[in-house]
Amino acid sequence: MPKSLLAALLLSCSPLIASGAAAETLRMAYSTAPVSADPYPYSDTHTGALAEHVFEMLVGLDDSPLLATEWRWEGPTSIVFDLREGVTFSNGAPFTARDVVYSMCRMMYRVDGRANVVTSALGPVTDVVAVDDHTVRFETTAPYPIITQKLKFLKILSADAAGIEGDIAYDREGDCGIADSYPAQADFDNGDAAIGTGPYVYESFQATGDADLVRNENYWGESPEWGRVEIRSVPNNGARIAGLLAGDYDIVEQPSAEDLQVIDRDENFTYSAVPGLQTIFIVLDTSEDGAGGVTAADGSNPLADVKVRQALSMAIDRQAITDRLFSGNATAANQFAPRYMAGAPEMPELETDAEAARALLAEAGYPDGFALEFNVPADRYTNGQLVGQAITQYWTRLGLDVTLRTEPWSVFQTRRTEGELGVFMYGWGHPQGAAQLISGAFAQRDDDLGLGSANFSNYNSPAFEEAIQAWAVEVDPARSDEYLAQAMKQAVADLPGIPLFYNHELWAHRTDLELVGGAEGRTMAMMVSSK
Amino acid sequence: MAEADHGHRCGRTDETMTNFILRRLGQSIILLLIMSVLVFAGMYVISDPVAVMAGEDATEADRQALARSFGLDQPLPIQYLTFLGKIVQGDFGTSFVYGRPVLALIFERLPATLEVVFLAILVGLAVGIPLGIYSGLNRKKAPTKVISFGTTVGYSIPNFWQALLFILVFAVWLRVLPASGRGPTTEIFGVGWSVFNAEGLRYVILPAANLAVALICMQTRLARSGTQEVMYQDYMMFARAKGIARSRLIGRHLLRNILIPIVTITGLELGTLIAFSTVTETVFSWPGIGKLLLDSIYRSDRPVVVAYMILATLMFVLINLVADIIYAILDPRIRYS
Repeated sequence: MPKSLLAALLLSCSPLIASGAAAETLRMAYSTAPVSADPYPYSDTHTGALAEHVFEMLVGLDDSPLLATEWRWEGPTSIVFDLREGVTFSNGAPFTARDVVYSMCRMMYRVDGRANVVTSALGPVTDVVAVDDHTVRFETTAPYPIITQKLKFLKILSADAAGIEGDIAYDREGDCGIADSYPAQADFDNGDAAIGTGPYVYESFQATGDADLVRNENYWGESPEWGRVEIRSVPNNGARIAGLLAGDYDIVEQPSAEDLQVIDRDENFTYSAVPGLQTIFIVLDTSEDGAGGVTAADGSNPLADVKVRQALSMAIDRQAITDRLFSGNATAANQFAPRYMAGAPEMPELETDAEAARALLAEAGYPDGFALEFNVPADRYTNGQLVGQAITQYWTRLGLDVTLRTEPWSVFQTRRTEGELGVFMYGWGHPQGAAQLISGAFAQRDDDLGLGSANFSNYNSPAFEEAIQAWAVEVDPARSDEYLAQAMKQAVADLPGIPLFYNHELWAHRTDLELVGGAEGRTMAMMVSSK
Repeated sequence: MAEADHGHRCGRTDETMTNFILRRLGQSIILLLIMSVLVFAGMYVISDPVAVMAGEDATEADRQALARSFGLDQPLPIQYLTFLGKIVQGDFGTSFVYGRPVLALIFERLPATLEVVFLAILVGLAVGIPLGIYSGLNRKKAPTKVISFGTTVGYSIPNFWQALLFILVFAVWLRVLPASGRGPTTEIFGVGWSVFNAEGLRYVILPAANLAVALICMQTRLARSGTQEVMYQDYMMFARAKGIARSRLIGRHLLRNILIPIVTITGLELGTLIAFSTVTETVFSWPGIGKLLLDSIYRSDRPVVVAYMILATLMFVLINLVADIIYAILDPRIRYS
């Protein structure tokens, strides 16, 4: 068949070039499929991003007022929120304090015993009271200052839409006498229950995670530019960027470093980056009685010695990693929270000095090094395997016998939970304040205070504990930041883990679009405008 | 298995056929049991769903509640027996991730896979058999050399690379076809199909072509070697000597005799493509069952993986059975005993 004929045949089945009506539509490609339109059971970023087009919270992810205009502590265990007036749900029902009580009930209710996004985190809440239509009060068992951080994940549902009448009395099980009325996941997925106050409403949601949204014409805030939004998920990196170049999508998330080079050569496309919230770090098991995969000639755990941990940290050239592997689209870390995040203390740069590192190792009694297994999830973090290789090389140069072990996330996560990993790379970054990482990964476990849920470093420092426990119950923002700074400085001095870098969030998109992304890296239609 | 038995008496054929089918089904139940034990144990060893699904700030109580809700607090043998007991009642379990019945998840994605696979098989047969017969009949001609070269290349290119190449050429450079995803569907018998509307068809073309290339190459080679062998058989010589028209010679005597290996391979390929088109479905973000399987393995969603593998095994058993029955129709010499 002659080439021209083939081309003609293929062209005959292509659609007409985008018409005027289509210009109002924004087509976005996600890297992971949202699981459901039900905003309660699933805590992953993409299910959250989709839901935040339709539902809103009291407090925005960036700490800004959203459905609440102001909040204040009335005592150490009582916080009051003033609610925004004149807000209606997409079904026309006005938003009031009753909806907040209803949403808290639904969040606390465990279907088949399973927790929702922040069920456990809001466990300390003893009561939620609708003081009047536009004031709501939360009571807690003990001082619980991070409640405002946790409430960023409470999407507000409409009590009216669930057919609930009259006042709702809160209880900690979430039954509230109305459990029979709670919509099921299927009711959200088919759109019946998916009624929020957000700038968009669902037109359709497919079980594959594809969603079509249309503008909520009654939105209380600034009306978004796009009348219609189509969200598709394309997990394969190459296919995602090809979809952008092919004109199937207007914006795609998480382009790889190679993709950026392609984008740079094409004037029709560009990319936007914003420093993100995710801190990539290494956890070191500091237990005296040994760490998984770490073997020294004398049978001790070298990682129990702070000098060894300092040596491991000093061997790594963070700037080289962010420059070479990320082309500058990452920031070298000097602590366990992005330095540009509100509340993160001022900290000096972490120095790179291979000579001094070797001297420290010798001083600690390991002049000939020791063997360690370095575990890295293969499919979780941007350039994860490359970073793993780079660090393996830095440590090998130090004289250590390093085995790099990369595994799929599910396998890695299982071994990590079993406590089998003595040295592993990890990423932590949710919009929950600058203390989130150290309070979860380095504090001693305390479920009541929400501390140490993932302390695989087995770090136990009295000075750190004192500071972090004081932070956990301090409701005064200035003093809270002071305790955080103390704890952070102690952690960076003791290095139960090694900070590496802060990821930047990247989007590739058409040049004629302007994109102002948030640090939390959610891909939202509201952040895109045409030039 | 099938075997040629020239001296068989025809009267007992139906009875032996029924016995054969019953015996095969009996064997397949044992096969399914072994399969389910292997997958069940395999998923258990690889990863723990609670570790994957519990959030970072989950308390110990949360983890236990999650394990209980999945039934993972029981010892593994008990979990397996519970699972078997439910299967007997037709309940394949509920997905850990989606919280929905596994069968519903699989069957709602099945049409997407079926339409791509059947389109690919049709194209493979429609293009491969004529090309193969042509090259078998005209061994010295130039087009035969081109076909031979083409099938070697087509068969050697890795599937995923070829898929990316298709996307680059047809979606990025020529911009005539979409790069990924599934287009609008048309409802037929309550099931959404995208091949029955023009816009949806555009989305099917690239993934189907990606699967079809290997099929075309394989069918071409099978048809060619079959043709070369059959053309020199005595009965073909005789038929030619008798002066039978060339079209009838090819259409009836040749085609019928080269079809047996083609049916066998197509049957096996059909099963493989339906169950394991994971690469094509992943690269093209095609929402079929292959992608569901891969996602479920990564997310440690054991009920989906186990049910999937059982259904896939069942499908292979049935396809082999049907292929054996078709042999008997195509070749009267084949009997089952």
